[in-house]
Amino acid sequence: MWMKNEDELVSEVLEGDQSSFELLLRPYRQGLLNMAYRMTGNVEEAKEICQEALIKIYRYLHRFKKEKSFKSWVYKITMNSAYDSLRKRKKSEDIIESQKRQAFDVSSDPEKQFLNREIGTKIESCLQNLSPKEKAVFLLRDGDGFSVEETSKILKCSSLSVRTHLSRARKKIRAQFEQSNLGFRKEVKSEL
Amino acid sequence: MNCKKVRRWLPLMVGKDLSPSKISSITAHLEKCPECRQEYDSYSLALEKTKEWLEEDKPDWVEREWQQAVQEAVKDKESVISPLAPWPFKKAWAFALMGVLAVALTLLLVIKPFFLGEGTAPDSELLSRTQAQLLGSTFQESQQEVVRMTMVLPETGQKIIWFFDKNFELEVKE
Repeated sequence: MWMKNEDELVSEVLEGDQSSFELLLRPYRQGLLNMAYRMTGNVEEAKEICQEALIKIYRYLHRFKKEKSFKSWVYKITMNSAYDSLRKRKKSEDIIESQKRQAFDVSSDPEKQFLNREIGTKIESCLQNLSPKEKAVFLLRDGDGFSVEETSKILKCSSLSVRTHLSRARKKIRAQFEQSNLGFRKEVKSEL
Repeated sequence: MNCKKVRRWLPLMVGKDLSPSKISSITAHLEKCPECRQEYDSYSLALEKTKEWLEEDKPDWVEREWQQAVQEAVKDKESVISPLAPWPFKKAWAFALMGVLAVALTLLLVIKPFFLGEGTAPDSELLSRTQAQLLGSTFQESQQEVVRMTMVLPETGQKIIWFFDKNFELEVKE
């Protein structure tokens, strides 16, 4: 089946074809939800953020410049919505707890589930210890694979600032691993 | 490059987020320094595990919820304003247009009588009557004591001045 490219879909949406909007956003639906979820730690809140982002994307689609990356633009809007959401609410313990609970049900294999749970809890607590900026930089660069330059454009900051926050985030995550996981040290040694 | 400097760069080195020259000098150091190499590996493993977990533990939309979210976004019909859309749909343009139209209309109303009157001789009787009415109203309003009228003869340069008092008694001066 012949697939339309993003530019064509953008043009169609701007010409009033609403069905093209879903096709345009479908490749990013999980990535955007995941980003919002990592930022807030709550799936329902993440869905609300994505909803808000979708409305903004549709509303301001005419401002999107076709020579730029649509993916970066979409992530930028979602990230801004996530920041707004974080500003609005005070982080509460029950959200973190619900996040931990949701993070566990990944695999049906009990052993893998146990390991995932253990690692997931640690990583989740690592992410929660990061500042919003560090988290955003880390998730964009290491979670979604954006380059440092793309990340700086999405977050509207300099490449230097991205590198600084990325460095801090990785240091914190590694420190958390080192502190909490004795087996992790053994694993490193065995790999040497 | 010494160990202190290398360790400072390791968090970025692990994702290759440094310049190629820095990467090569750090790589050279790591090959001969086991302590730094161990620290690099621990960064590398922490990052790898985190990425793995981020990849595995991805929430996704239920199809129905996703469709609802998209429908909600496109419901707001006035939201999409295409650059190709006609200008009245853009607010700024609409206001500018209204302003221009208002100015044009005002100018038209002011200038129109002149254009319409062009080519037809003014009715002299009507004009003099109107002028007289205007003068009369001026006199009534101002309650002027004396009115002066001057006539200059072009041949001789003589001036004839009429003075009328409020009782309309004429006095001629040369």
